[in-house]
Amino acid sequence: MSKVKKSGKMLNATNKLKNEMGRHFLAIEQAYREGKPTAWATAGTPVELLYSMDVQPMLPENSATISAALKHSQNFIELAEDEGFSYDLCSYFKTNVGAVLSKADMSIGGTRKPTFMMSSDVICDTHVNWFQVQAERFNVPHFTIDVPHVVSNTNNRQREYFKNYIKEQLWELLDFITEVTGNEYNKEKAQEIAQNSYEMGKIWQDVFELRKNIPCPVSTRDTFGGLFPLFTMTGLKSPIKLYKRMYREAKERVDKGIGALEQEDFRLMFEGIPFWYNLKFFSNLERWNAIVVYEPYVYAFTKYTNPNVTKNDVINNPVECMAELILSFWYIYDLETRFEKFKETVRDWKIDGVLLHNNMSCRPNACGMYDLKRKLMEEADIPALIIDSDMNDPRKMSETQVLNKIESFIEILRERKKR
Amino acid sequence: MVKIAYFDACIETPEEIILAADMIPIRLFGDPTKNIDKANEHIPPNHCVWARNILQQAIEGFNGDIKGVITTHGCDCTNREFDIWLECVDLEFLYFLNAPLKRNKTALKFFINDMKELITQLEDKFKVSITLEKISKAIKKMNQIRELLREISEYRSKMILKGSEFHALVKEVQQIEKNEALEMLESKLVALKLQKPHLDNKLKKVLLTGSVIDDTEFIKFLESLGFHVISDDICIGTKYFWGNIDETEDPIKALAEYHLSKPIYSTKFPSYERFETIKNLAEKYNVDGIINIAQKFCEPVLYDHPYFNKKFKELEIPYLFIEMEYNRESYKQLATRFEAFAEII
Repeated sequence: MSKVKKSGKMLNATNKLKNEMGRHFLAIEQAYREGKPTAWATAGTPVELLYSMDVQPMLPENSATISAALKHSQNFIELAEDEGFSYDLCSYFKTNVGAVLSKADMSIGGTRKPTFMMSSDVICDTHVNWFQVQAERFNVPHFTIDVPHVVSNTNNRQREYFKNYIKEQLWELLDFITEVTGNEYNKEKAQEIAQNSYEMGKIWQDVFELRKNIPCPVSTRDTFGGLFPLFTMTGLKSPIKLYKRMYREAKERVDKGIGALEQEDFRLMFEGIPFWYNLKFFSNLERWNAIVVYEPYVYAFTKYTNPNVTKNDVINNPVECMAELILSFWYIYDLETRFEKFKETVRDWKIDGVLLHNNMSCRPNACGMYDLKRKLMEEADIPALIIDSDMNDPRKMSETQVLNKIESFIEILRERKKR
Repeated sequence: MVKIAYFDACIETPEEIILAADMIPIRLFGDPTKNIDKANEHIPPNHCVWARNILQQAIEGFNGDIKGVITTHGCDCTNREFDIWLECVDLEFLYFLNAPLKRNKTALKFFINDMKELITQLEDKFKVSITLEKISKAIKKMNQIRELLREISEYRSKMILKGSEFHALVKEVQQIEKNEALEMLESKLVALKLQKPHLDNKLKKVLLTGSVIDDTEFIKFLESLGFHVISDDICIGTKYFWGNIDETEDPIKALAEYHLSKPIYSTKFPSYERFETIKNLAEKYNVDGIINIAQKFCEPVLYDHPYFNKKFKELEIPYLFIEMEYNRESYKQLATRFEAFAEII
């Protein structure tokens, strides 16, 4: 195995992310100072509606990633296990439990007691169980949005009543927030938030469009690194500026023919949540002049990926549109749609191979991955490799083993290029 | 007669709709003695072994009379697993029933819609007519079955019927033609009424709860260690015959209402309410202890356990939690823990 090369170039704009995160944490502090309502929210829920109702969101999942990045997650996870939570349960959840038990500061992934909690099973039922555990601990109200599961043979008739079910629950959510906080829904404010959210999602998509270029101007460190506001600050103006800077910088690189890597030989897709405790792992790819140019996980959170939902729809009907968007969320595609989307992405982003993260902590995401891999390889002649690891629990990653697998995979890609 | 099987980690599949299509509903169970190598090619090893076991059977092929399978939403892996079934299982009909997560009017309306869709798809596929009258007739029959099972279940606490015998009986009812089931239950009840209490009173009376527990051999194993499963909160048990369906309502609405008003499962929200059901059953039957079994990787049950542990400690009701592999070898390995529990209760 060759030595690690120097790191690929990060965008200068990504370095400003810390300021955005700081803004988010300051807003939380300010909300507590002013007695403004706060809410925990799980990923994939309509955080925009919280901002619209003047509720300050907090996303424990993102806080858990901070714990991992700062090497605190294992300690927190073990505290949760001491409380009786199984070794096999979600490491985000256990990180959050441990952080709460140890009264960790927000700077290392702690989260404060909220006014209420909002969860959904759009991504997984773990989110619902997680907030049930913590809502009971804090004795705060908890609203959950039940999202029906689209499977490969779901028809349009079903999609209609699925959508209506979500829509009705979103209106119930707004009533719930009013009941708990006294804050009323204000459509004008919701429209402003929706417009910002749409703009932010679209800029991210524009950044991804630039990544179609060879060499790719933006590395996975920018995308995973820049993800935080997409979860926590969607609907606010300030992160839009940051993302616009990222876009401008990336565009400049494209115009000058500069890539994030000095030498780009292999273009990869990475499916799944990364290993937050070991993000430098992705630098290892550079030893083979390989770069990740597309991450479905990141792209999914640009939210506005359904071509049937226009900007006008989003702005005019901020609640109703959310139902359609939740149902067509990239991250929860059924196997057949997932496969089609992968083929299309591999073609458009000129991808040589796909890395699939079989995440020990995320069974719903990992389930179907074996068939996805088989279909990619057998039906579409796309090389794919499954990596077994965990997003937040370093005990479940064997770096050497994973790297050895990737090295062999790269050799396969190299041979294919000679064809 | 055509058989439609159902794969349900809880028990929310409306068998009455299948009966109204003049078909036989068959519940799918795992076989812990089975090698699941084919299923392992589709589902990673850190996923529910029970689900993999049933997939294995489906890939190998069911009895030829089974023309279709309804997968009813349990945990959030079941929908992903359903997509895998679509890839590798050769059956005429596969339907994913989105049993809702919540228990309110909005969820009820949704569940009714999803049941209506199931009816439409069964009618289209098999060219049958599923009328409201036929569903009502099926509800009446199933209510009779539920009533009989409820009455028979009481013979466990009368120290006449072993937990394992009852478990096998409920399993059989879920796998045979319902008229046959009705006859079987009626004669079983007659036989039980003639018996006097004969089970050893020194047996430790326990309530069994947890994931899907479908291997009767496991209950027999508990009995061999001196336990008597006097009551339960499982889907091959009380959850199958809890209450009756309203026969005066619109039948589809009544079906949906019935399933959403039964005691909740760990896979649904708010699952903590399960504690109240277990507590009430434990008090009603004055059990010596509670055994909560999580099949390995059964996340919903794993999430609930620390809360149950805390609550039962507060009530001073002995509570044993076990994470268990889905194979009979593992039962033996756990014997010491069960024996220790028997000692302390």
